[in-house]
Amino acid sequence: MTEAVPVPAPEPEAPEKDRTRILVVVLTVLTTLITTLVAGLQADANSRAAGSNRDSQVLAIQASGELHRLALQSAYDMNVFAAYLKDSQESTVLQLTALQQQQKGQAAAAADSQLQAGVAQARADTAQKFSIFFNDSRYAPTSAGAMPDMSAYVTDSYAAANALVAQQNAASAAYDRWNRKGGAYTSILAILAVTFFLFGLAEALAARLRLLIAAFGLVALAIASLWTLIVLLG
Amino acid sequence: MNKTSHLELLIALLIAVVSTTLAATVWRIDAVSSSAGDASRQGIIDTIKKQSGANEDWRKTYEEAGFAEGYAAFLAQVQALETSGDPNAAAQAASLRQYLLPNLQMLGAPLSSDPGYQKADGTYDLQKRFADLEAASPDLSGLDPQASFTLADRYASEQRWLTVVSVLLAISLFWLALAEVGGKRMRLTSLVIGALAYAAGLLALVGIEAVFLILRGGVL
Repeated sequence: MTEAVPVPAPEPEAPEKDRTRILVVVLTVLTTLITTLVAGLQADANSRAAGSNRDSQVLAIQASGELHRLALQSAYDMNVFAAYLKDSQESTVLQLTALQQQQKGQAAAAADSQLQAGVAQARADTAQKFSIFFNDSRYAPTSAGAMPDMSAYVTDSYAAANALVAQQNAASAAYDRWNRKGGAYTSILAILAVTFFLFGLAEALAARLRLLIAAFGLVALAIASLWTLIVLLG
Repeated sequence: MNKTSHLELLIALLIAVVSTTLAATVWRIDAVSSSAGDASRQGIIDTIKKQSGANEDWRKTYEEAGFAEGYAAFLAQVQALETSGDPNAAAQAASLRQYLLPNLQMLGAPLSSDPGYQKADGTYDLQKRFADLEAASPDLSGLDPQASFTLADRYASEQRWLTVVSVLLAISLFWLALAEVGGKRMRLTSLVIGALAYAAGLLALVGIEAVFLILRGGVL
């Protein structure tokens, strides 16, 4: 006959031990709250980063389009101006030729040269009428024989593209800033996951180790909270 | 069952309800975020299409402008020959006007042929030509990327507000958990605060969804 071995009843935890268990539960709930806040901040940062990224892409497309348009316009303006220069110089040269021919007594040849000079001048006058360097007061020569203000033309031409590029750079910088914040929040969430693990472990451990592990968890929670503040205010 | 047990059961039930609401809210945040991404992507695609169309229209405008200016210069040349008083030049001009000018005019058309594009000073209205080319391709020029971006911004805005709701629900969970584990003295107070936070979160959730649903014209 075997004698039943008496099973000792589990000792009820002392009131202070129970209090540490409740403390760990409260810390866990607090971690949940902070995690939710950080997750919200991360969502906001990611949303803003996505918006800035989108803006920078759209502005880059628009800047590219403006540069394309500008290249076409410049090519047209320069071709018209080059045509004016060629025809007006051709006219001058032919007039000089006519003068020389007259001096040599070659009247018929001189008349022919004069006719060709007139034709070249007619072409030059048309090109001048079409050229932005003569019909736009911002660039037109201020005196006879002077050259158009090419510098002002180049500055004005690139103004729109430069403005778009400046906006694009600003949007890109904003994207970088929000993306960095979003990345930092991800790291903070990883620390908070470690915090959860530590508090969970503390809950499962014996009373002696509970406080120690909970203290580690508290340190992790403090680091995560401090980092969140730094990122938020930075 | 005594009064304390009833209260504990009520708190446990509330925790379950709040947790479920929080999970649903997180799902909605994810769905809204995804919709914002989709609308943004559509906007960028439309921007590229629209810009490509505009690029082609500018190319065509300046191509025509080059030919039209060439035609105008040649016309001036012919007129100079005609008015020179030289019979030989006049004969050349007549031939050029009859055989060459129409071809050059065709190259520069419609700038060189349509009076609607000619300005008072004899030059051509390139902006009007570009506007007409844009109007001729409404499938590209009619695209409105800004509408997609506005929609994306509304989704992003809703996402932020829903995040606030999730915080309210987390606060509710916090107080309800405190009520569950706390002493008898604080239990009822914690329960009331938790329930109020939940009510505020739920009200905000319904309000936000309703407002953004109206703003988006009934689109979820």
